Amino acid sequence: MVKFLSEKWIEIGKNFMLEKLDPVKDLKSITTSLLGIVEHIPPDDTTMNFYLELQEGKLIDFIVNTGDTFEEKNAAYEIRGNYGTYKSILKGEMSLGIAVLKNRLSVKGSKMQALKLIKPLDGVISSLQKITDEFE
Amino acid sequence: MTQESILNSKEGWKEALEIAKKGSHCGMCRFDFLETGLCPSGKKFGFLAYWPQGRMQIFKNLTSGKVKPTEKLKEIANSCSLCGICDKQCNFATKLRPEKVANALKEYTNNLDESEFHNVPEDEIIKGLREIVGENWATNDPIITSAYIQTIIHPDSDLNFYVVMPESTEEISKIINFANKHNIAFMPRSAGTLLSCATPTVLSKAVCLDQGVIIDLLRLTKLKIDPKSCTATVGAGITAFELQKEAYKHKLRANLAEAGAHVCSNIASTGITSTWQNRYGWAADNFTDLKMVDDKGNIKNITDLDIKNPYTTERGFSDITLSAPGIITECTMKLHPVFDDEDIVFVPFEHLKDALSMIMKLAKRQVGLSLIVLSRKYFSNFLCPTNEIAKDFEYICKKYLKFNWVVDVICNKDDKKIIEEMADFTIDKEMMKTIMLGAPKLSSLKESEFMKVLSEEENPSKAIFAGPMRKHLEKGLEASPEQIAKVYDEDLREFFKNVYSRPHMTDIMWHHAFRILPSRLMRQRLFFAQAGMIWAADENKILKLVDMLSEVCDKHKFEHMLGFILPMDDGKYAFFEYDYYYDHNDPDAVKRVSKALIETTENCLRMGDILMVLNYLFKGVYRKEHVLYPIPRAITEEEVSLFRELIQMILGEEFKW
Repeated sequence: MVKFLSEKWIEIGKNFMLEKLDPVKDLKSITTSLLGIVEHIPPDDTTMNFYLELQEGKLIDFIVNTGDTFEEKNAAYEIRGNYGTYKSILKGEMSLGIAVLKNRLSVKGSKMQALKLIKPLDGVISSLQKITDEFE
Repeated sequence: MTQESILNSKEGWKEALEIAKKGSHCGMCRFDFLETGLCPSGKKFGFLAYWPQGRMQIFKNLTSGKVKPTEKLKEIANSCSLCGICDKQCNFATKLRPEKVANALKEYTNNLDESEFHNVPEDEIIKGLREIVGENWATNDPIITSAYIQTIIHPDSDLNFYVVMPESTEEISKIINFANKHNIAFMPRSAGTLLSCATPTVLSKAVCLDQGVIIDLLRLTKLKIDPKSCTATVGAGITAFELQKEAYKHKLRANLAEAGAHVCSNIASTGITSTWQNRYGWAADNFTDLKMVDDKGNIKNITDLDIKNPYTTERGFSDITLSAPGIITECTMKLHPVFDDEDIVFVPFEHLKDALSMIMKLAKRQVGLSLIVLSRKYFSNFLCPTNEIAKDFEYICKKYLKFNWVVDVICNKDDKKIIEEMADFTIDKEMMKTIMLGAPKLSSLKESEFMKVLSEEENPSKAIFAGPMRKHLEKGLEASPEQIAKVYDEDLREFFKNVYSRPHMTDIMWHHAFRILPSRLMRQRLFFAQAGMIWAADENKILKLVDMLSEVCDKHKFEHMLGFILPMDDGKYAFFEYDYYYDHNDPDAVKRVSKALIETTENCLRMGDILMVLNYLFKGVYRKEHVLYPIPRAITEEEVSLFRELIQMILGEEFKW
């Protein structure tokens, strides 16, 4: 169990997903990439982002950066929201889908396409829920 | 103490709880529609807790143990002077006596030992909010926040909320910036009526705020008419009734929802649906400008040049959104002229097919200003002062009069001639006044020989409303303010005699503009409005839709009926509302209504040509052409799976197909 957005979070998250998630069964063989931007991170009100890439259901990349852009990779989807919203999702208090539908997470590009992606991403979210227990 | 023992400890408390439970949060106690003035404590303190509907919710919360007494409870209970205004307002709409609840709340509070009240400490968040809006307009007191249960807070939620009442757009911007910085969710609240209808159902968790800051918009009370440009600048705290009242002073009319709906939030949530919709339009047709605060706290006007096209939205069945694109704090509404020769015509029908055919012909030819087909259920509930009378009235309409549907048109005198030529007979304004004041007497004829004889006529409605029997009806009903006042409790009779003596209160055209009667549909129970817009080229398809909705509701066993159909976009589309009536305190009824809601939504999507409420919710700021077109096609089996996934995501795992 680790702190959200820490280096260790990335490392454990990556290993957890590679070991526990079946690319076909759990991740529906999807190929996509996602940039999640996390704003208003306490205590200094900073912004960070994480980049996640899957190819045919296999995790290729999972990287954390500071700031609200990640120029090295061009993500297919970009979702943006405040730290509190991500915290609610990782604590299982709110689903990723509801956060998008309630505009708590804003989506760059087609919201409809992003919603179609959410179901296959369930496995990723539940993996991150299992490994994340520290916030702020 | 158990709830039972609390209620048994004082006479009248059980009755008070029954009244509180029947409250439907219609909000009719928060604007002055009967010229009684407003609840003095609500007006002074603002928060919902200080209004009659809030006190009813608090009494429920306290006696059920949902919330514990705080120091603020004393102020809430004792700021009520038992002046009786709420009884008058609520009785007109719902036939309830909220003052009995206010009295019980006073007794309950004053019976408590001083040690039972606790203080609510001020945390950093509430300090910050108070810096923005002032000491009196932000609170984290659970008693005050608990008043918002059922209209923005889910009944099972922990009361981890703040309520803030800003008085300007700038304050709202600051609140949002503050909430974002502290990672707290926020949501605006206006009248809360839409939420009160959704909250008991399966949609509750999807539409309510789970925790955070409730931004109560009641204090944004700007209201200014500009007769020259035929517009009105309207703050987010202004109700439809208040705007219409000002507009009428200038012989102008706004296209508005029910009287208690707040104009700005009604634009944001469902657009504005009204009988005037075919002529005045829908969604962005209704305003020339909006001032909004986005989720980053930026203040924008919809007419700003540097923002992306504000009038368009994604389309398709999976485009569902559960919040507006921003908080509308002010709108500039279009107003329309009120003509001197306006009149109203009613044409009753036995079959929906015939009523539909007539209204669509009128809409396509652009005849009339206000057009609608009303069901006998709506007609009865609007006109009758109590549920019982409405029920008997409806029975008479169905059993004896073959009066199941009525085409209801407000038009100028030239258009009136067209309608009269098309119809076999019509009911006029004077007859409607007679029916309204004589409804109790007419309803009492439920088992009479007179009705049995009348029903043998070829067209009983024609015979009684427009034929030789009309004069007998007029005489027999003894329609007068004195007669209708008799159905009210003795202490309220004189008041209601005066109310019904005012000419506008029996002027059916006034009621179309001011819309104080629809609240009677929420009389002591709730209904869920399954609404949508259907491409109207094939009228048989509309009839099939109604049959489908009826079959599903029958299967799930609750009271239901099509409420109305009204044309829009020059008759190219028809807006329908099919209502599911149920006791919101009965969990089993709630479950059945929820099932029917999802099942009928899916069936409508399969039928095609229909835009369901789930797909136009929170899209009222866009151009209707961008929401309605291209005409929604029927979804494929593969898309049904995606729809189900989306619904499951919204409703959570608790919902089972």
